[in-house]
Amino acid sequence: MANIAAKRIKREFKEVMKSEEVAGGTIKLELVNDSWTELQGEIAGPPDTPYEGGTFLLEIKVPETYPFNPPKIRFMTKIWHPNVSSVTGAICLDILKDQWAAALTLRTVLLSIQALLSAAEPNDPQDAVVAKQYREDIQLFNLTARHWTNAYAGGPTVIWEFNQKVQVLQDMGVDEDQARVALSTFDWGLERATEHLFS
Amino acid sequence: MSAESDMEYSDNDGDDYDYYGEQDDCDMEAVDRTKSDPEYFLYTCLKVEEVEKLLNESIELLSNSLQITPSLAKVTLHAYEWNAQEIINKYKENANEVLVYSRVKSRAPVTQGGSSRSSCAVCANTPPIHKYSALACGHYFCNDCWAMHFEVQIMQGVSNTILCMAQDCELRAPEDFVLSHVTKPMLRDRYQQFMFKDHVKSHPELRFCPGPNCQWIFRAWVREGARRVECQGCELLTCFSCGAPHHAPTDCPTIRRWLTKCADDSETANYISAHTKDCPKCQICIEKNGGCNHMQCGACRHDFCWVCLGDWKSHGSEYYECSRYKEDPNLSSDSQHAQAREALKKYLHYYERWENHARSLKLEEQTLACLKSRINQKVMAGEGTWIDWQYLWDSAKLLKRCRYTLQYTYPYAYYMDNGPRKELFEYQQAQLEAEIENLSWKVERAETTDRGDLENQMDIAEKRRTTLLKDFLEFHTTSASSSKV
Repeated sequence: MANIAAKRIKREFKEVMKSEEVAGGTIKLELVNDSWTELQGEIAGPPDTPYEGGTFLLEIKVPETYPFNPPKIRFMTKIWHPNVSSVTGAICLDILKDQWAAALTLRTVLLSIQALLSAAEPNDPQDAVVAKQYREDIQLFNLTARHWTNAYAGGPTVIWEFNQKVQVLQDMGVDEDQARVALSTFDWGLERATEHLFS
Repeated sequence: MSAESDMEYSDNDGDDYDYYGEQDDCDMEAVDRTKSDPEYFLYTCLKVEEVEKLLNESIELLSNSLQITPSLAKVTLHAYEWNAQEIINKYKENANEVLVYSRVKSRAPVTQGGSSRSSCAVCANTPPIHKYSALACGHYFCNDCWAMHFEVQIMQGVSNTILCMAQDCELRAPEDFVLSHVTKPMLRDRYQQFMFKDHVKSHPELRFCPGPNCQWIFRAWVREGARRVECQGCELLTCFSCGAPHHAPTDCPTIRRWLTKCADDSETANYISAHTKDCPKCQICIEKNGGCNHMQCGACRHDFCWVCLGDWKSHGSEYYECSRYKEDPNLSSDSQHAQAREALKKYLHYYERWENHARSLKLEEQTLACLKSRINQKVMAGEGTWIDWQYLWDSAKLLKRCRYTLQYTYPYAYYMDNGPRKELFEYQQAQLEAEIENLSWKVERAETTDRGDLENQMDIAEKRRTTLLKDFLEFHTTSASSSKV
């Protein structure tokens, strides 16, 4: 790994560790290996959003050319959000792409991702299905996102109706994640989700 | 050429090229050729060195008249699409505005101490103070980081638009700043190459020939409508306005729509819609594979009528009732099917003909090659000279040209609204097609056909082609219709 990259990451790691966000428990950063090429981030779901109370893990890969190229970051915790793929966790965020600047740091990036959870950009979607629901039925979107937060990120709100529907499909032999994706995609219509899964 | 661009070059002694372009006798020729060839378009093919010279002249002109560095001149020319005169005027009015617009100067005043020179914000090193540099925005970073930044950007193919490393800073690094930090000869070369490509792409009068590995560059002065330019190197026909293969009489937006339509499989959806219906009882998707309209659903055994989707029992023997019923506009789901089926039929009609002519063109390419070798053989055998057989060669070339236009009449017709104009177009198209097939037949049997007969056929086909183009090539129609009225 290039000298600058390792040096920068070490410094940024310290910066994050000393930051008030870590003290306040809203973000965390851990090393995955000794070579400073891979880290694991953790952000708390912002208050007054469907993600409140959940903790979301992020995979952070530092390229050889860092900081002249952006770090590669994706959600490891499944999340229902217009700008995050519900399947791969890939994030659509300008500063992780063409708006990256070498002077940006991991701390600013983590805070930007946290801000993305509070303010989605449905017109620049990563996941078209989620974005469509967000635009057309925001209430159902909020419920679905809350349910996902409960199921994957340890969020407190249990939505019994959704859990039951997932259970129905699981009883039919469907994998839990697949069942949840199908139900969420078809606005929790059990019939259409079933039809989709078995066609 | 506009008066503005006229000025741009008029005080340029070395620029013979443009000088001739402005000549009156040249314009006269253009007028004459426009009459005989509706696709006539004034353009030139230039080599890379010629274009470099052309660009350098603009850069020199600007840097001399405004007393700015050539590097700065390049940035502003790129930002203002090479309109030197506009830049000069605006610069004299408000120099600051030009620099801000070209993104070499910040709009907001430079904040001192925004970035310290005690340690570099990018690498966290603390080099001595003289090893820092910054663009006009005052964001100081160490020289090693600038060099790395430029290296990464150049390797990714960025040249004119490399930005400052600071967050949210939109300032672009001019050439002299980049080159003062990049030392590797390979990278400097790459940077210059990308820079040149970028300049040609941003120049409204220039376009690269899209042929594979082709080094020629077209220069023309009009950038709208279907404009034919032929490459001197690879003979590819290109539309100067949009860069797609030449497409008269179809215009640029239409051919783009057509090519995307042909490329994507959006028609699959139409196919499903046209050839399948959902069972009215269990909603399973059914493809009709026989002629009988009495359907029985394979899944739920429901008997129904394919045409009206009603229960078959209520049908009895009154089949024709049903066909009348179908025309009822209230049956929206059925009319949707009908519409999709119609749309598919229409698309396939045009697409098949378009494809067919494209294939014929390829085959005739082979004929052309055969013909060349046959003529060579004859000449070698002493049966006349090249000049005697020239007409054969010309006829095959003409056939290619006619067929090419014919191919591009199909997307045009596909997007045309119904009406007398479409009828006229399709009439002319049919006439052209008939004559082209005649010509093709005669060219294939050229050695046995009478020369006079062949030349006559060539004349007819070309006349049909030019008539169609004259009437329907967009920028000619506007002038033609106004003169008729």
